[in-house]
Amino acid sequence: MNRGNNGKQPILEARNLSKEFHTGGAFSGGTVKAVQGASFKLHRGHVVALVGESGSGKSTIVRMLARLYEPTGGDILYEGENVLEERGRRALLDYRSKVQMVFQDPFSSLNPVHRASHAVQRPLKIYAKTRGRQDLRRKLIELFELVSLTPAEEFVEKYPHQLSGGQRQRIAIARALAAEPEVILADEPVSMLDVSIRLGILNLMAELREKQGIGFLYVTHDLASARYFSDEILVMYAGFIVEQATSEELISNPKHPYTQMLLAAVPDPSRGLKTEDTDVQGEIPDLTDLGSGCPFAPRCKHVMDACHEAMPEPSPLEDGRWVRCYLYEEGAPVV
Amino acid sequence: MKAPENKPLIQIQELNVEYRSARGAVRAVENVSFELFPNEVFGLAGESGCGKTTVANAITRLLKPPAFITGGRIMFRDIDILRMSQEELRAFRWDQLSIVFQSAMNALNPVLTIGNQIIDAMQAHQSISYEQARGHAKQLLRAVGIDVQRVDSYPHQLSGGMRQRAVIAIALALNPELIIMDEPTTALDVVVQKQILQEIKSLRDQFGFSILFITHDLSLLVEISDRIGIMYAGKFVEAGPSQEIFSDPKHPYTDRLMNSFPTVHGPRRELLGIPGAPPDLIEPPAGCRFHPRCELAIEGECDRIIPPLIRIGGARDVACHLVNEAEAVT
Ligand SMILES: Nc1ncnc2c1ncn2[C@@H]1O[C@H](COP(=O)(O)OP(=O)(O)OP(=O)(O)O)[C@@H](O)[C@H]1O
Ligand SMILES: Nc1ncnc2c1ncn2[C@@H]1O[C@H](COP(=O)(O)OP(=O)(O)O)[C@@H](O)[C@H]1O
Ligand code: SF4
Ligand code: SF4
Ligand SMILES: [Mg+2]
Ligand SMILES: [Mg+2]
Repeated sequence: MNRGNNGKQPILEARNLSKEFHTGGAFSGGTVKAVQGASFKLHRGHVVALVGESGSGKSTIVRMLARLYEPTGGDILYEGENVLEERGRRALLDYRSKVQMVFQDPFSSLNPVHRASHAVQRPLKIYAKTRGRQDLRRKLIELFELVSLTPAEEFVEKYPHQLSGGQRQRIAIARALAAEPEVILADEPVSMLDVSIRLGILNLMAELREKQGIGFLYVTHDLASARYFSDEILVMYAGFIVEQATSEELISNPKHPYTQMLLAAVPDPSRGLKTEDTDVQGEIPDLTDLGSGCPFAPRCKHVMDACHEAMPEPSPLEDGRWVRCYLYEEGAPVV
Repeated sequence: MKAPENKPLIQIQELNVEYRSARGAVRAVENVSFELFPNEVFGLAGESGCGKTTVANAITRLLKPPAFITGGRIMFRDIDILRMSQEELRAFRWDQLSIVFQSAMNALNPVLTIGNQIIDAMQAHQSISYEQARGHAKQLLRAVGIDVQRVDSYPHQLSGGMRQRAVIAIALALNPELIIMDEPTTALDVVVQKQILQEIKSLRDQFGFSILFITHDLSLLVEISDRIGIMYAGKFVEAGPSQEIFSDPKHPYTDRLMNSFPTVHGPRRELLGIPGAPPDLIEPPAGCRFHPRCELAIEGECDRIIPPLIRIGGARDVACHLVNEAEAVT
């Protein structure tokens, strides 16, 4: 489902983004390299999925793009303009209305003492999207209908405890939509939901990108839902984006050894669990004492001397996909 | 693998459980019957709130008011668990049963090393010297895929996946005949999850025990289980060998459930899911509890008559008027 976007300016772009956290005390502390040199583009109406194990740096990227964390290095471009250079409250407010977030936890993201209407009215007021009480009410009802919380007149009156997880997540999406964003950063929006409800939310987001042309950065550790919802998948491992390809290419023809392991770990109901499989092994490294080499080296079947020295640069492959692995450098043995 | 000629280890017969609340009784489990054979992995599936955990808690007799078992029997071999004296119950929980919950990894004692927690469990149980128990603890850690060097680690020094494996090692320390696992890997990443599930399955092959496995992740459940039971709104709607149910679901609910989760295997396809939401169990729909969401519902029948769970050839059980009629014809 790759739409031609060649040459068009991306709506949002990350260039060489990095984030370090300093942890512990003055003497015992260490540096966590949560994200290193992340680059990618998001186009209008496109869905890019960011996939990886817990602690790989997905949420840190999202928080930098949402301007909740100041990057340690690199740039964020919105319609080609460097966002990090813009100063002042006004600019930040403008950016935040264009780039909205939806979080994982539909239970803690709504204030229990307020009715559902409250959550959605706030951004309408903050970002001045309405004129007068009647207009506010009309917009509110429109938004609830847009996320299929109908009859909207009833749902706006409800409190969070009267709503299911899926319904709360729909409100979180309505709240994001209230700001009339171009981009929604959705950090594991369906991880805590049941199968059928999960699908409803994925289908709702697919409809929003289709009808409203909203671009989504979809964070998940579930490759299957990434394939279902996104045009393109970025795979993260220990702070690095290690592979980028269209969803179908990535699933049918994974290149990076880590992507291959991740795919092998996805349950395959048609096959049954084989205890003798050995394709899944090892543990993710501690990000405080990462060396300079490829962080996947301790788990990699194909490890070579070069892998311990430095992280490989992205190697471009056919169809605009790329991978960071020495196996695909020019002149390397083909796997 | 299950040997069908075996006598069941656990036999649940017409189990009924309700939670009494100010609004009325929540009929959380209604007339549920199924069997668990020695060495078998039996999976329970269904949307959140359909009664899976309630069934598990009934077997372990962990249900407390406002939960009440209002009918049925749960046979452990020839003894009804529901009629066990406190003494018998203690012995049953002690010798035959282990339980692993989703949040079990957070329930480890933070001030004891994982080795000592396994040793404590064993020593509380059988007369065994510290040294012997420690040797056995190391074996168990190795069996669940934890480096034996970690025997003296405290829980906070381990990752979530390792803590959950330690919990499984403790569950195994007592050499149980039945392990109940309620969402044991739900909080973990797929890679860690696969490692743990492989471990569990090979331990089952090695030591021989039965597992009641509960998860809302259907692909995982089908993958790990020998047989599965699909629950909807407190009732069993379908049961049978997991591969058969996966490739040829009979009940309309099972069919829609199987079409609700995306997969990385095979071609990409649009998924429709299931319209609507599960019902309020205080006043569940009359007749088939699925009828308000079922596209195939027969007016006048499905909304009035409760479809019984019927054996339809082989080892498949289905509770649906449509399927029952089709089977009666053929
Ligand atoms: N505020 C913080 N202070 C210190 N370390 C942090 C902070 N936020 C994240 N980290 C560390 O950065 C790394 C990446 O974390 P991040 O939350 O981005 O991972 P993630 O991929 O979103 O994981 P998950 O799938 O569990 O949500 C981890 O090692 C984490 O412990
Ligand atoms: N302590 C309780 N009080 C009242 N109702 C409960 C209680 N625990 C569970 N229930 C209800 O019982 C039904 C089954 O719950 P549960 O067994 O936890 O389902 P599952 O494990 O399949 O998600 C649900 O309708 C739930 O709301
Ligand atoms: S760079 Fe080396 S260690 Fe890293 S994934 Fe490629 S082959 Fe393996
Ligand atoms: S009994 Fe009727 S309503 Fe229930 S699943 Fe079968 S066809 Fe649908
Ligand atoms: Mg995260
Ligand atoms: Mg449960």
